[in-house]
Amino acid sequence: MIDEPYRWVEAISNRREYIENELAPGSPTIGISFPDGILLLTFGRDRKKIFEIYDRIAMGAIGHPGDIERLRMTALELASTEGFTRSVDDVSLRRMATYTFSPALKQAFEQIYGAPYLARILFAEMGDTQEGDLFVRLDYDGAMHANSMSVGKRQENFGAIAGTRRGLESVERVLRGAKITNLRTALEAAIRAWGAGLSAASEDAPEAPEENALKEFLKSRLADYTVEAALLDRAAAGSRAAFIDVPEADLEAVLAKFR
Amino acid sequence: MDESNASNQIAGDFLAVLKRQRVISDVPSVTAARPDFTETVATTILGFKFAGGVLVAGDRRATAGNVVMYDRADKVLDIDRHSVMAIAGSPATAWEMARILEHSFKFYRRSQLQEMSVEGKVRALSKLLRDNLGMVIQGVGVVVPLFATYEKKSSDPAKLFFYDAMGAQFEATDFASSGSGAAAVRSVLYYEQSWGAKPLRERSKEASILLALKALDTAAEADTATGGIDRHGKIFPIIKIVSESGIETVGDDTLSKLFQAHVA
Repeated sequence: MIDEPYRWVEAISNRREYIENELAPGSPTIGISFPDGILLLTFGRDRKKIFEIYDRIAMGAIGHPGDIERLRMTALELASTEGFTRSVDDVSLRRMATYTFSPALKQAFEQIYGAPYLARILFAEMGDTQEGDLFVRLDYDGAMHANSMSVGKRQENFGAIAGTRRGLESVERVLRGAKITNLRTALEAAIRAWGAGLSAASEDAPEAPEENALKEFLKSRLADYTVEAALLDRAAAGSRAAFIDVPEADLEAVLAKFR
Repeated sequence: MDESNASNQIAGDFLAVLKRQRVISDVPSVTAARPDFTETVATTILGFKFAGGVLVAGDRRATAGNVVMYDRADKVLDIDRHSVMAIAGSPATAWEMARILEHSFKFYRRSQLQEMSVEGKVRALSKLLRDNLGMVIQGVGVVVPLFATYEKKSSDPAKLFFYDAMGAQFEATDFASSGSGAAAVRSVLYYEQSWGAKPLRERSKEASILLALKALDTAAEADTATGGIDRHGKIFPIIKIVSESGIETVGDDTLSKLFQAHVA
């Protein structure tokens, strides 16, 4: 099959279609950078989807739990080994994503006799200031998108993954328009963006839902889903691990607006 | 990229990851006699329980034979939010052990999505000491540490452990000490516990800090390898307090004030 270029391309495109179909119903994960740190938020039904990777790095994912677990362990081992052998300051998301994850994902995807990773991941790395915050989205084929890594590019204060292209665009539209200054405004924007992303996932839904329709949609979904929200806390970063759960009080106060 | 939890023999074991990636290796079994060099060693450390938790203290001196290598060594090290390790013996080995422990606990929490139990943590240090036995038999790299932590759910939450060089772990009821000045410190703590104004566990934070300073000063009086308190260089011991709220490092200004008022 490898000797016949056409069949290889066909196999790859079949594989892409299959993976996209599998990922499509995935619940979006939203990352928002604000002055006090980085918020990661998603809604789930049965399993945890936001993880601590290292002192300043967290990860969210959509996909098959088995594949997510393999990717998570790779990230954990890579970061921990680097932090142990060199220093905590040498652990870098940019290096990890560019040199390890992207090539490995691409290789698994294109070796058509092996299994690809059925996963789409969002990494977040907190800097000393908000300007240093980094989000990297990695796809099953190794494609990489970062909110700010190249010079001259306008920095976005968020990163997100969703099941479909449409869903992601919808999430990004909400986040671009949101005014975020603190944890509670970040939570509110993330919840709205999540609702917009999930509702836009189906082709017959409008790309940008009406305000009332969005509220109705969120209200109905909040009954089935449980929220998962974690914070990379800039105030804690000087000492040790900055990854904490979002305080219950903040989360409840914001969720109450949508119930 | 295929290293998953499932392929590890013991899930969440960072030491196994380091060995698999050849970052650290097992101690080679060399049967030669003790090499002809003088090893740097760190000395006196102590720990005891008081009303507010566990206090762990260490002087600042590291020596090689009769040479003072360093007078600002930090022998009381934070391992995680509620654990500290104090080291006596070879700093080369001890600091490495502390780094392995710190990363092991973090790695376990991150990979297994739960904290390691206190018993698990105590045993992890025991295993590192045991792995170091080859070096100890060759006469270098001996480490005899203390480990203090706080276990919220326990009826006696302040925990203090001491070890021997082979990795046997002992839980201290009230106090423990290690290093070249340990005998003097142990005598002071025993005396205070038995015949002092109050048992150690009922003492206030200030009284406990003061006792630690006095005990280290006593050790330094007879043991040249213990730095004690440097009146000229203003070098004070490292004193840390482990309690429910975490780890507090007592500042030099507090130590200086207490020292001037009650010890000097």
